[in-house]
Amino acid sequence: MRRFFLFSWVIVALLLTACGGQTPAATSTSTPEAQTGGKSITLNGAGATFPLPVYTEWNQMYRSVQPDVTINYQGIGSGGGQKAILDSTVDFAGSDSLLKDNQYTKMPDLQMLPMLAGAVVPIYNLPGVDKLVLDGPTMVDIFMANITNWNDPAIAKLNPGVSLPDAPIVVAHRSDGSGTTEIFTSYLGAVSEEWKNSVGVGKAIEWPADKNGQGIGGKGNPGVAQAVQATPNAIGYVELAYAKSNSIPFANLINAAGNEVTADAETMQDAMAAFANAFNERLTAKIMNAPGQKSWPIMGYTYLIIHMKENQNCDKTKALLEYASWAVSDPAAAQKAADLGYATLPNAVKELVMAKLQEVTCNGQKVLQ
Amino acid sequence: MQRSKGSTITPMLSSQLGNRNPSWRARMGRWLQHGDRIWRTALLVASLLTVLLVLMIAWEIWTGSTLSRHEFGWNFLLPWVESVWNPALDRFQAWPAIYGSLITSLIALALAVPFSVAIAIFLSELAPPVLRTPLNTMVEMLAAVPSVVYGLWGIYVFLPVVVTPIGRVLAASVGSVPGLSLLFAGPMPVSGTSRLAAALILTFMVTPTIASVSREVLQAIPRSQREASLALGATPWETVWKVLLPYGLSGILGAVILGFGRAIGETMAVTMVIGNVSGSGYSVLRPGYTMASIIANEFAEAVSDMHTSALIEIALILFVVTIILNVIARWLVASVNRKTMGS
Repeated sequence: MRRFFLFSWVIVALLLTACGGQTPAATSTSTPEAQTGGKSITLNGAGATFPLPVYTEWNQMYRSVQPDVTINYQGIGSGGGQKAILDSTVDFAGSDSLLKDNQYTKMPDLQMLPMLAGAVVPIYNLPGVDKLVLDGPTMVDIFMANITNWNDPAIAKLNPGVSLPDAPIVVAHRSDGSGTTEIFTSYLGAVSEEWKNSVGVGKAIEWPADKNGQGIGGKGNPGVAQAVQATPNAIGYVELAYAKSNSIPFANLINAAGNEVTADAETMQDAMAAFANAFNERLTAKIMNAPGQKSWPIMGYTYLIIHMKENQNCDKTKALLEYASWAVSDPAAAQKAADLGYATLPNAVKELVMAKLQEVTCNGQKVLQ
Repeated sequence: MQRSKGSTITPMLSSQLGNRNPSWRARMGRWLQHGDRIWRTALLVASLLTVLLVLMIAWEIWTGSTLSRHEFGWNFLLPWVESVWNPALDRFQAWPAIYGSLITSLIALALAVPFSVAIAIFLSELAPPVLRTPLNTMVEMLAAVPSVVYGLWGIYVFLPVVVTPIGRVLAASVGSVPGLSLLFAGPMPVSGTSRLAAALILTFMVTPTIASVSREVLQAIPRSQREASLALGATPWETVWKVLLPYGLSGILGAVILGFGRAIGETMAVTMVIGNVSGSGYSVLRPGYTMASIIANEFAEAVSDMHTSALIEIALILFVVTIILNVIARWLVASVNRKTMGS
């Protein structure tokens, strides 16, 4: 018994010394941050997963621009990001979907800033078919489950000379709420009144193909891509950046001008240029079914959400604004975004964003001079 | 150090015991008695904490689902209402998810129970000693495989190789028989993602659980039971069938309920193979949802407060179903025990 007590005391003593040994180390790492007197700044952001790859790269690159500023961005989804900034648990949020009116009422000084745009592409799995062309009405019919077989004349007419299988079309879609779904369904709604009224547009909808057992839901871009790749004769939709980085074939589309286009930097820029003047006072715009000759029709902006007035820590606000203007205007940052499959802002939109950044105040004072 | 601690306690003890001067050994004994009480209190607090935890979860999902409960009432879970799960319109009915959970778990149990009991009987009664240990280890290892591994293996191997052909055969044979066509209407997606796929993956997941617990149950049966049966001239088969299984029935039932619990709560593997769609009818050859998988898929990015609330209500249903299952299990085990005691 005595030995047991001795033993336990030895353990307690060891634990104490172990903790004691850690304490100085912990203080020594935290000291420099404290000594710089607020110069070392950490900005926390969260939100959309769509721009996560490029934000992560940017945050790394920004280390060499502003070594004192650390930016953390967590991809928790657009809805999560909006909730986080409304709860004031983050310094900024990322979002693909627009804030709703009641959210603006709760926090009137929230501002959405377009950062990048991205395209959504229809991906498919048709063994032996290397190139597929679709147009808006046909896409609507496929996702409405009006067209249920690949050998349908509507598809055949768009793809002369391609041998399409006599097989049911399996429709893969997101099972989680997603900005990608919102962009994609907005496109279908822009093409077809019937879609807009009977199915709807949003981050999550009820898919008609599910009703007859030909729908499959997948979580996230990887889930949809996996479902399409595992299922011959399936069609689905993912972001261009994801399709490109994973070499998934995607279909060409007939755009609003009646031309066949593929999703790339040129067609995305064309669509954005066509809608460069479409921004409203909230600095949001749709780039859906753009009328340009070469426009890729399924696109959307991704936004940062920041506070315009309710800023308390002016050093943090300044750091955030500098980061945002760097991200929008720096050529290296733009190059990185383009490499990853995103579309960078046209000059007209850049100027709108920069002007908005100038207006941000902290304790009533303008932050950027 | 130990002395100093002892001395802080001693005055209190000695004041309680009057002013005797007990020996060290006696003091130690009293201290231990005291320690016993402390120990008992600590255990009581620990077990009360689990109760508190359950109550807090119940409270949280009850209040969290208020919005949805008020909006949809009983229509939320009743099967005869036309089922809608439409985040765009904020209309939600949980029946497809409830049906998905029940049908996949029940098919899994129906397939797994005979297998598991057979495995248990073999391992406990018939296996030669050389085979027994390695087989035991293998079965227990299977029970410990993480569910995401089952899911991955399901997607890439099991679904295309096994489920898709089975689905094709079922759809072609019983798929058009009136009555059965409700359950077996085709076509199944070529990838095999379907309720049937989920049920079969669950079968693999619950079999080792049921088998290893049932084996423990059979092994715990006293030798005298077997010896008595064999002495009466029963064959080994008769011994198993007429003596061991009835004797161990309550334990085996417990194992089955444990398996059911695992099946109905399983999330990851099911999400990966079931196809994650709502309102696709009753056919097992079609993709669907379970209660656990719809929460896993949609909760993080729920579109509206009503959507969140509806998902929390599904959690509430899952919670209640689990409690009901536990109650049924206890009642079954108790009634079986009464019967075997009586005979």
